[in-house]
Amino acid sequence: MAEKIIALAAKNISKTFTISEDSHNTVKHRLFNLFNPPRKKRIEALKMTSIEINQGECVGLLGRNGCGKSTLVKVLAGVYPADTGYMKISGTTMLMNLGVGMSHELTARENIYVSGSVLGLKIKQVDAIFDEIIDFAEVREFVDTKIKFFSSGMVARLSFSIAVKAGADIMFLDEIFAVGDMKFQEKAVKVFESSWIAGKTVVLVSHSMDVISRYCSRTGFMKNGEMKFFGDTQTAIKMYLEDNH
Amino acid sequence: MLLKIVKDWVGRSNKVERIWLLAKIEFKLRYYENKLGLLWALLKPVLDICIYYVVFKIIMKSDVPAFASYLFIGLILWNFFVESTTGSIQILNTKKYLYEYSNMNKLEIYISQLMSNSIGLFFNFVMFLIFYNFFEASSNGLSRYNVWIVILYLNLYILSLGMALILSNIYIIAKDITQIWQVITSFLFFLSPIFYSVRVFKEALPTFEYGNPIAGIIINARRIMMEHKAPDYELLGWDIMYAVFILLVGLIALNKLGSKAAEKL
Repeated sequence: MAEKIIALAAKNISKTFTISEDSHNTVKHRLFNLFNPPRKKRIEALKMTSIEINQGECVGLLGRNGCGKSTLVKVLAGVYPADTGYMKISGTTMLMNLGVGMSHELTARENIYVSGSVLGLKIKQVDAIFDEIIDFAEVREFVDTKIKFFSSGMVARLSFSIAVKAGADIMFLDEIFAVGDMKFQEKAVKVFESSWIAGKTVVLVSHSMDVISRYCSRTGFMKNGEMKFFGDTQTAIKMYLEDNH
Repeated sequence: MLLKIVKDWVGRSNKVERIWLLAKIEFKLRYYENKLGLLWALLKPVLDICIYYVVFKIIMKSDVPAFASYLFIGLILWNFFVESTTGSIQILNTKKYLYEYSNMNKLEIYISQLMSNSIGLFFNFVMFLIFYNFFEASSNGLSRYNVWIVILYLNLYILSLGMALILSNIYIIAKDITQIWQVITSFLFFLSPIFYSVRVFKEALPTFEYGNPIAGIIINARRIMMEHKAPDYELLGWDIMYAVFILLVGLIALNKLGSKAAEKL
């Protein structure tokens, strides 16, 4: 068996959010309450977790709402800094949450170029996939319309299409199958069957056990900010189903 | 050798392309949205100059020669500074879509924002050159000292970038930096020799041109563009030191506070 290359390694990472109950986010408040700090609530969104993901592997994440899946994914993608531990990421990352971020002030065309560029493509490379993105998103007539005039479904389809066509070395896909109408969802699932994720490292967050069991070789099950299990997909699904009852 | 390394890096990475793309889009957003479009970028300093001209030349009888040009060069540099600092305070909020789904370096967002402002400054500067050389009655014409403007521009760019970094990162933890900065800018505006003559300014506030990093840039810009003198090297040295120091503080702020932007804003 060929030696596995690790695409992403995280050791003992954790994330706690501090939320002040009466928000002292102005200088005046801070000045008058120097000796009277606001009551703070600490939410341990992610407790000590270690994870290693191999290159080219598709890993699933399961757990009920609020169990820390999205926080884990954001820390791994480098969007949130972790409070503890260390991480090693080799390659570009992309976090896809319904789609990738886009500016509502820009047109579809501008958003495609900006997002493509942010994900590490050159302008020429974006030129090459531009038509594919537009056609996949089914927004050809509105290429030069600002996306604030788009329906929410159209925005979601566009941003999904950009993410799919642009891609990155390590992709974190957070509930991406909730995009668009039934016809588009079918297309979205089909993307998985095409060569999109071939050779890419993917972390897939989904409530669809069907998708997880079909594509993920290993799956983590999370509860209350803790990784309860990480390994065989069927075992993780069983734990998730038990948790739901 | 060094050139080859730089060329290699530019060829492989898309950073330069990306910064320029973002700057162009930002510039377009700012001006092409309005009915008058780019005309606004040109009209704004002209209108400002008219106001100050009426107040200081006609009402208060200022004795500065070539006063309209004197105001012109001072105001376009000042406006660049204000647009780049006040206009960037909320940048981590408005440009969140750029960094919240990838590991893109936030510094690029700032650089592109200031590049976009630089496009505006460039247009204004060309207007100044046309005005000074063709319309100003007591114009001295062009001189070899004019090329110093490149150094002054870099100085101003670094200063503004540093300030934008500091302000926008403080914004993450204290939102009212916006109001505080407004007060500071109006203070700096009246304490810069934008519409007073440099002589009056220096008499009233001796050595203050060394204390206000933007004042020195404006004073030197007038020396090289209008008076055909070399810049005041000591002043220039101070201003560059200020700018580099502020940029360093800004980079530290981005490092310490900026990483929290995605979760706090």
